[in-house]
Amino acid sequence: MSQHQILNPADHGQLRIHTEAGAEYGDNVMASLAMPAEFREVQAHYPIVFRRDAETGKLAALALFGFEAGENLFLNGSTWEARYRPMAHAVQPFLIGRAAEEGAPPQVHIDMGHARVSTSGEGMRVFDDAGTATPYLETIANMLGDLDYSWHQSAAFFTALETYDLVEPFSLEVTLDNGAVQTLVGFQTIHEERLASLDGEALAALMAEGHLARIYMVLASLAQFGGLVARKNRKVALG
Amino acid sequence: MSNPVQHIVIVGGGTAGWLSACLLAARLPDKRVTLVEAPDIPTIGVGEGTWPTMRETLATIGIPEAEFLTECDAAFKQGSRFDGWRDGSAQDSYLHPFSAPPAADMRDLAACWQAGGQQGPFAAAITPQHAVCAANLAPRQRAMPDYAGALNYGYHLDAGKFAALLMRHGTKRLRVNRIAAHVTGISRAANGDIAAVMLRDGEPLAGDLFLDCSGQAGILIAGECGADWVDRSDVSFNDRALAVQVPVEPGSPIAAQTIGTAHEAGWLWDIGLPTRRGIGCVYASRFLSDERAEEILRSYVAAKVPCADAASLTPRKLAFKTGHRDRFWIGNCLAVGLSAGFIEPLEASAIVLIELSLKALAENFPQSRASMDIHAARFNELFRYRWDRVVEFLKLHYVPSQRSESYWQAQRAPETIPPRLAECLALWREQQPSAWDFPRVDEMFPAASQQYVLHGMGVPVPLNGTPPSPARLADVAAKARALAAALPTTRDYLDRLAAQTAAARIPA
Repeated sequence: MSQHQILNPADHGQLRIHTEAGAEYGDNVMASLAMPAEFREVQAHYPIVFRRDAETGKLAALALFGFEAGENLFLNGSTWEARYRPMAHAVQPFLIGRAAEEGAPPQVHIDMGHARVSTSGEGMRVFDDAGTATPYLETIANMLGDLDYSWHQSAAFFTALETYDLVEPFSLEVTLDNGAVQTLVGFQTIHEERLASLDGEALAALMAEGHLARIYMVLASLAQFGGLVARKNRKVALG
Repeated sequence: MSNPVQHIVIVGGGTAGWLSACLLAARLPDKRVTLVEAPDIPTIGVGEGTWPTMRETLATIGIPEAEFLTECDAAFKQGSRFDGWRDGSAQDSYLHPFSAPPAADMRDLAACWQAGGQQGPFAAAITPQHAVCAANLAPRQRAMPDYAGALNYGYHLDAGKFAALLMRHGTKRLRVNRIAAHVTGISRAANGDIAAVMLRDGEPLAGDLFLDCSGQAGILIAGECGADWVDRSDVSFNDRALAVQVPVEPGSPIAAQTIGTAHEAGWLWDIGLPTRRGIGCVYASRFLSDERAEEILRSYVAAKVPCADAASLTPRKLAFKTGHRDRFWIGNCLAVGLSAGFIEPLEASAIVLIELSLKALAENFPQSRASMDIHAARFNELFRYRWDRVVEFLKLHYVPSQRSESYWQAQRAPETIPPRLAECLALWREQQPSAWDFPRVDEMFPAASQQYVLHGMGVPVPLNGTPPSPARLADVAAKARALAAALPTTRDYLDRLAAQTAAARIPA
């Protein structure tokens, strides 16, 4: 059960957070939201795909960790076998909160129902004994700020993709070493032919906004499917 | 090879005997190890603080860290804190932590601290361990590999349980042969060596090398081999101790360091384990009566241990002689532990001297009788050096004191200060302690240790040239904040470990 609270030293002075990786801390997920602003780091480790919200029709980008729900092929015991984790996942169990009044600065919220919230006395302190934020919380707060900013910024990127009709449905079918067929459906990716046929004016506009490089990051990230399939094969082989 | 050394016979159980047996069996798997101990002689059982060396020792012996911690009721020790040694005032306290930065950084940080007007305690400027100790935090997280830590650490332990664990481990997993018998004498070989030890009810026990772990009596090294006693009570005055064990409340904080609190004619030790605190009053009988020492002990317990019933405690009285043998290795007999020597446990030197003796022996093991005298001469020279350094380093804790009692005045009388220490103190007015003062491999108390005590006691850091940028102090402070956030309290760590161990014992 989620249980959101505004983080503060009075209520959370002794709070500790489990910061290591682990299925028991909710890391057994197949994907995480990825912000266009972090595509450079994300594409170095994970395939980036898009998903269209069934109700709103809006696009979002995802970093893929596995092929099916609950499968994170980068998770090995308490180790996450990649140097970078998408911000939206790395900030857990913290969230951005907004006060009711317009224009108020964002607050750090915490989900006290999250498995990362420690009850054992072990884990990372959020506040020190004087009630000052620890270096860990400073890092988290910075990351939440970056996440908030890049979330708002991402709307323009997806609008540009729609404007130039650069998104197409994407499905993947791979035969694993043991003969089983692994499929992935329901995602979207960049339409390469349409991208290649854009005229100079369109390319200049995309480049001016910083979108073009990110579009190519998404294309490049598809090469990470090779690594993801290799991880899947290794997992199947180990039983 | 003529006269190969194959069979090692250890006389005496206890910490020294069983540590020797386990270490030699683990490090010299082609040798035979037999330990003979009297079934009914109790061990002294007050050596309850180790050095960080114990981690390597336990790893070598092959005991998992969690097993050691739970079996020995152990806790982490990250150094020693000295309260009341400078002037006895309320804020008079300093830490000698186990972690020190590299020598050059240590000197830079010391200079920064001095140049910046001694803001905060000396050790806090040097290492993040100061902040971690102050918050009663563990030096490691449970997820870390065995014997690894974010900071350097040793242990506080129950010595009786430790000897029992080593005995089980040695006899069951390391093929140490244990004989329960009284040693009544020896038989000699033609060259004067010990050929065998005589047992009260049994055959003589023959061996090639004999370890005397019989405690203060030194029945082989002194009783049979004629080692003389080198008295050091002219420098180190304390000769008595009153010891108690006080149960603690479940969930109470566990101190991260040994606490040594000065009193009018000696000091008190305070060692925190998960279930009890071992507290003792060390004193010099020519300055303090036993009755007064007991009063001091009781009032300390009443003041420092919540919920303790100080009146109901019955302290155990120990009398000891300070000094060591003139030779530790004679013929084919080597003294290890209290049989080699004893000094007050101010810096927990007893167990580490056992470990160092065995390291020297195992890495320079006489494969035949022919090389034994060469090894013995080197060993004797090395351990005379080490005892001299221990005696001097403990004296360093007293000399800078400004306390006014007659005991403390006598402690700093020039004729009681060893000449080499006096020389060092003169040099350290002009330059910081360095490897020039302590040039040997495996110095027990390197320059960093000397600095923690020297400046902790208020002796200023000599400044030569321009001190480095104070940004270095900020780095230490930042590291301290990060560690204080990441490490659990020792109490939480050990309670979780105990719960985990209990769960693992329930059969599936």
